[in-house]
Amino acid sequence: MSLLALLSVIATYLAITERDLLKAVIFSALQSISYVFIFYLLMAPDIVLVYIPIALGIYPALLLFLIKKTGRYERK
Amino acid sequence: MIMLFSNILLISLGVNIAISIYGIVSKPNMVKKLIAITILSDTVNVIAIVIGYRLANPPIPPIHALNDDYRVFITRVVDPIPQALVLTAIVIGLALIIFLVFLTLRIFRVFGSVNLHEVLETMYKELPTEVHLYEEEPSD
Repeated sequence: MSLLALLSVIATYLAITERDLLKAVIFSALQSISYVFIFYLLMAPDIVLVYIPIALGIYPALLLFLIKKTGRYERK
Repeated sequence: MIMLFSNILLISLGVNIAISIYGIVSKPNMVKKLIAITILSDTVNVIAIVIGYRLANPPIPPIHALNDDYRVFITRVVDPIPQALVLTAIVIGLALIIFLVFLTLRIFRVFGSVNLHEVLETMYKELPTEVHLYEEEPSD
């Protein structure tokens, strides 16, 4: 569980500092995967069942829709 | 050993909150702000679940201990109230993120950019020096 938390820290740092927004969305999905396993190990399987389609399906789909409309690269 | 692992978990979640607040405050791009907001809300939900876990304070479930099976159940159960709250918070956060996504899309269609510096430049450039909210009445 602590290893998953450290993985989520690394994924969050990469998602915030990444300049390509598509890669940032992928890193935030990686962070959501580590949170899914933390929820499962903390004995909350009902939250896992809700959290997987929302955080791994709908959030990246919405953000990819927005990135497709507005532009992929973040300007400085 | 278990306390060391839970300390690492809590410190990591605190670092995650710090990084995501830094992302919300300092990045001018609105899509990056949205990503940071999702990470922040998910981290707060994980902290609520960690508080409801039986490691720190064993919960009192709303069940009468009628026989030994219930007593064994009570010694192993986790607190259900933070889980119900987090389940609601995830769905409300989804609705909030959908609203913010379409607000960002509207800002892009009006100003032609999602970078907040460029949006503010466009606003100050196109605003006249004196703004009249209402038409002045013709004086007779």
